[in-house]
Amino acid sequence: MVKKFLILLLVAGMGLIIFDLYQAYDSKENLSTLGEYYAQNGAEEVGAANLVTAVVVTYRGLDTLGEVSILFLTAAILSFALSFRKEDEIEEKELRPTSEILSIASQVLTPIIMLVGIYIFINGHLTPGGGFQGGAVIASAILLMLMAKPKLEISHKIIGFVESISGLSFIIIGALGIVLAGGFLDNRIMSLGTFGTLLSAGAIPLIYIFVGLKVGAELSNIVGSMSHNQNEK
Amino acid sequence: MVGPIYIIAIALGLAFAMGLFGKALKGITGALLMLGLAAMTFISGQWLWAFLTDSVTTTQIFTAGFKPPYSINLQMGMEEAILTFIINVAGLLGATYMYQTFSKKGEQLKMIFLVFIMSMNVTVMTRDMFNLFVFLEIESIALAGLVLMSNTGKAFQAGMKYLIATGIISGLLLLGIIFAYSFTGTLNIDDMIGAHLGTIKASSVAVFLILVAFILELKPFPANGWGLDVYTAAHPGIGALVSATVASAGVYVLYKVMPIAGQEWYYYVSLIGALTFVGSNLMGTRQNTPNRLLGYSSIGQVGLLMIILGLQDYLGDKTAFIAFGILISHYAAKAGLFWISGILKANDIKDWAALRKNPFLLFLFGTFLFALIGFPPFPSFFAKWELIMTLSTQGQLVWIAVILVGSFIEGIYLFRWLGYALKLDHSELPSLNITWNKMIPIWVMGMSLYVLGVYVTPMVEFGRYINYIPLLFILVMFALDFLPVYIKNTLSIGGVVWYMIDLWPRIEDDLMRQIFAVIFLGGAVITLAAGYSKKGTRKGFYPMALLMFAGLVGIIEASSMIDFFFSWELMTAGSYFLIIRGKRSMPHAYSYILFSIAGAYAILMGFGLAYGSNLDAGLTALGNISFLPTLAYSLLAVGFMTKTASLGLHIWLPGAHGEAESDVSPMVSAILLKAGVFGLMLLFLFIGTDNPNATKLLYVLGWVGALTTLVGNMSAAFQEDAKRLLAYSSIAQLGYVLFGLAIMTHMGWMASFTYTINHFMFKSILFLVIGGIVVKLGTHNMFEMGGMIKKMPFSFIAVLISIIVIGGIPPLSGFAGKWLFYNAIIEKGWYFQGAIIFFAGIIAFLYLYKLIHSVFLGQLKDNHRNMTEISWWILGPVYVLIIGIMIFSAFPQYVLQPIGEMLNPYFNTEIVSWEGTKAFTKLGYWDGTTIMIVVGTAFVLLLGWLISLSRKAQKVKQFNIVYAAERPFRPETTHVSYNIYAGYKKALGFLVAPGITNFWNTVSDMVLDIAGWLRRIYSGSIQNYTLHVIVFIVVFYLITIGGL
Amino acid sequence: MEYIIISIGFALVLLGLYGIMYMRNLMRIIIAFTLFNTGINIVMVSIGYIRNASAPILDAIPAAGTTPNIVDPVPQALVLTAIVIGLGVTALMLTYVVKLHQDKKSLDINNFKDLKW
Repeated sequence: MVKKFLILLLVAGMGLIIFDLYQAYDSKENLSTLGEYYAQNGAEEVGAANLVTAVVVTYRGLDTLGEVSILFLTAAILSFALSFRKEDEIEEKELRPTSEILSIASQVLTPIIMLVGIYIFINGHLTPGGGFQGGAVIASAILLMLMAKPKLEISHKIIGFVESISGLSFIIIGALGIVLAGGFLDNRIMSLGTFGTLLSAGAIPLIYIFVGLKVGAELSNIVGSMSHNQNEK
Repeated sequence: MVGPIYIIAIALGLAFAMGLFGKALKGITGALLMLGLAAMTFISGQWLWAFLTDSVTTTQIFTAGFKPPYSINLQMGMEEAILTFIINVAGLLGATYMYQTFSKKGEQLKMIFLVFIMSMNVTVMTRDMFNLFVFLEIESIALAGLVLMSNTGKAFQAGMKYLIATGIISGLLLLGIIFAYSFTGTLNIDDMIGAHLGTIKASSVAVFLILVAFILELKPFPANGWGLDVYTAAHPGIGALVSATVASAGVYVLYKVMPIAGQEWYYYVSLIGALTFVGSNLMGTRQNTPNRLLGYSSIGQVGLLMIILGLQDYLGDKTAFIAFGILISHYAAKAGLFWISGILKANDIKDWAALRKNPFLLFLFGTFLFALIGFPPFPSFFAKWELIMTLSTQGQLVWIAVILVGSFIEGIYLFRWLGYALKLDHSELPSLNITWNKMIPIWVMGMSLYVLGVYVTPMVEFGRYINYIPLLFILVMFALDFLPVYIKNTLSIGGVVWYMIDLWPRIEDDLMRQIFAVIFLGGAVITLAAGYSKKGTRKGFYPMALLMFAGLVGIIEASSMIDFFFSWELMTAGSYFLIIRGKRSMPHAYSYILFSIAGAYAILMGFGLAYGSNLDAGLTALGNISFLPTLAYSLLAVGFMTKTASLGLHIWLPGAHGEAESDVSPMVSAILLKAGVFGLMLLFLFIGTDNPNATKLLYVLGWVGALTTLVGNMSAAFQEDAKRLLAYSSIAQLGYVLFGLAIMTHMGWMASFTYTINHFMFKSILFLVIGGIVVKLGTHNMFEMGGMIKKMPFSFIAVLISIIVIGGIPPLSGFAGKWLFYNAIIEKGWYFQGAIIFFAGIIAFLYLYKLIHSVFLGQLKDNHRNMTEISWWILGPVYVLIIGIMIFSAFPQYVLQPIGEMLNPYFNTEIVSWEGTKAFTKLGYWDGTTIMIVVGTAFVLLLGWLISLSRKAQKVKQFNIVYAAERPFRPETTHVSYNIYAGYKKALGFLVAPGITNFWNTVSDMVLDIAGWLRRIYSGSIQNYTLHVIVFIVVFYLITIGGL
Repeated sequence: MEYIIISIGFALVLLGLYGIMYMRNLMRIIIAFTLFNTGINIVMVSIGYIRNASAPILDAIPAAGTTPNIVDPVPQALVLTAIVIGLGVTALMLTYVVKLHQDKKSLDINNFKDLKW
């Protein structure tokens, strides 16, 4: 009872802080200095129509590398943590057969979803979307497959290979930026191309392809580890 | 030079690449991991080297080819270079340490580890707020993954708590960052600093969220249960990194973002730091689980660093030196301790006694503990010194007190731990199985502490005068520790003699220092010579004895306060290790070191006040303290009195001296105590006569001295343990010295000098002889001795002569002391204290009689029939001292006259004038030589007469008596001098009731009770820990912005 | 409009915090966490909102000196990162829940008090 009261009191206290934040908030009419710079120069400097992509992949490319690392870490931790039970402890659970609708739909939908995912990350510099979004869509296709066939073992080798190669490529492209252009992760190692076309914005599409593949592989890995673990008693 | 950005590229590239190698190529991933960490270490190392050689200036690294604030930039400056270097070194060593674990548990762990180390590098280097957030998240996710390595329920719980707590913290941080962005339109830290967010009311809440998040990342008390659990449950190899690198990076990050908040907020950082430092250490006093204890200590050290960061306005350009000194010591020591813990796998610090099975590990363990406390020659010592001195110049006495109290509390548990490791029984404990890859990292950390200590020494004012040659010699003796005693003994004596010869010209015209040099180094030779009687190798004895002597001689050589304090601490450390060698010495050595640390901190604070008054670290600064002089003098006096064991501060002495080894007792009694006397003399000379700020203090000290004498002598009279009797006698003798000094007249000081010299000689003799007898008879109890006069006649004569000196009976030099004393008392007019002293003098006869009677006279015990004289290795030095006493008694003028001349300039009171062998005062004269001749002649005549008479005496065999049909069942009941003074005890015993011991026991119980009560907040419940975090945030908010 | 959205964000933050503190089931705590994170993300996006402006996707390179009428792209980029981080943390928490459940066959936080003092 005392604890409940304390919790309410604390929520009220946090509410006070939040209220202060709310009071400090003002709806804006103009861009911030940083936003204004990107709006004015982003398209010309980076060549990406989608300014968010320009910020994410180039201006704040190091953050994106960090993001990729986080997913990578999570995937590694999951497959490490969920795999180290003793072999003799593991017993397979008896599973209900999947419904027909699901299994047939998954066969139809999986390739389409994959394609959508690829489309999203290839066009990341032009339209809303990008590597993370595309990768997540691809992983959702894998998830659908797993739901349809719970016993399906995803080949860790292939996923691991895709993940490693795309991750390494990302790093190498980033490092090329130091050699060929202005700094780590500079996208101007390739020609900026014609603004608004698929082959524009320098290395951004390339980076996003690798990010998309990597994220897709990592998320699939996560989903796979969890599903594998769930099948055990 | 390779750019720092490659640290990221290499780490991530290798981590990604590891996925390419399957389980079949496990060896490759291990090699890649080591290679990667080595490359990262190399990159930061070469930058560090470049900064140290001044060949490069702070460099900005732009990413993406755009300038900040439009893109993320990293900064590589001196500070970043140091931090990334130590992070990467710890990573490399940590990976070496966990090599087997890593190869057992698969390549994912190696990837996580690489990313973990990389993320800390970036948090240190980045100058972008959001980037900082991202890599902090990487760090905590990687850490949560590494915690899983232990695969125990406890680790899962700890990790879960950690995730929830950091989740809340990072959420609030994110809110703070986005609002800071909304106000400033930038994410660059430097631009944010320029915007002065903290001073504007609307934006101050954003500042608050950022600041509180980074503070919470450092696990402030009391919102740190989640952090403690990680320390406890994680693999020790991970605990080492959390403590060494995560904490270091976290402190630096806080340092980096603090300017965003502005100086108005610094005070709160210090406040939280103080709460953490004291609170965390306090709760550590009740902790017995090694890893959790290390956790408490780590959090405490981070608290200290927070204090320092918060006080940076006061510390000015010394902030970096101080913070890095503390940080590096903490870093190396904690990493080492966690790694040792991983080898021992003990659940209780008592099981660390197993360390004695590997002397190297024990040595490193001691190194780490002393580095944590801040003993020389480690960097933390110099950092703490600078911290206290600088704070004092700013008048921040409260902060000094907080820091010293917290440090002392840390000492409480660290030295308890060291005592356990050194003394507890380890026969039941499993032997250690140490692979080289676990040993190397610990060695590297231990050695780097020494190297860094020496490296930073010249950075401190007067530091370059500190003499490291004795320490080098001690290091050599450590290396030669496997040799037998007689070789090491010879080497040690040789070293001491050589140093004496080297030292003499430097103190040629300073009689006071010469006298103490003779006491310290001459005493060293004499007591070491007695060590020839020992057999075997006496592991660890010689380095520690030499350490103590090096400290002692350093004190007299010191020309600056830091040199003095440096030596003082060396002496304390050495003597601690000597004292704890005794069989039952653990608790006594423990109380010795606690009193010593407390005393040292009092001295430190006193020095601080002196420094604050003069901005000069020379020893002469003590002569001109304008800033709170009375407090400074009192602190210094109390500090020195912990060594002279004056009343109230004496409870460590009887046990420490009584239980010490037979040749250690004279070292720590006859010699070590004089360090306190030297300190007091130095202090009083600087105070000078008629100093209005010290009149009351001196008066009180006079009383303390008189009462110490009384209590010491009475306690001695009631002892049944021969060595404790001598120990109490030392307390009393030092009481005389203190009293004489406090009188502050020429005569009083003459008396004190005489007592000092006498005590050195007769207490050496007594402890050597009695110590030898105790070893021979196998008992300390006097009622189990008796009749030794015929078995050990030379010992008897030695003890007899000493007793005559203590008793102040003509013709020996004790009388000179007494004669001067009463002159001084009468001149000063302290009659009441004088009466006590006089009364105490009479009591002295009681214990002296008891000593000589119980041991040498009376009946020989049945089991001692075949006893022979004690070793000549002991008697040799003893008789050298007896010759000394005889010379001093017969020709006191050769010593006392120069002392008088030396004292003349300091005192304008009546002096002792000399005419040949006669010493004149207003009250009369005394002639040592004549008395010696007269009494000597009378003695010889009487002895001759007695011997001639004794020929007619009838000899009676010991058992030629009749027991009245009664058989004694306890040995003490038949011993005539057992409880011989029962009557006096009944009448006056209340005076020696263990009131003071009880007082200190109550204090320590109270501290432990508070700690036990406080730590109940760590109930283990996830919910509670979450509540702590939120309470911390809300309270901090209400105090700062809410204006509570 | 933007005031309503940011208020919703803040409300979610508070609700999430309440849930984290109040709930005893680990799964519910994690759900509360996602609420908390979502709230923060909403707040972040609305910070970058500018009245009557369009999405930060340009049709052509703006002429020198002119600023296209778009919302601030920076918070959007940050939110993208924050979401991914939130995902990582949530996945990790779930892993821990799996391990804790395997260990004690329970999700009640009161059963996990092995470490104290």
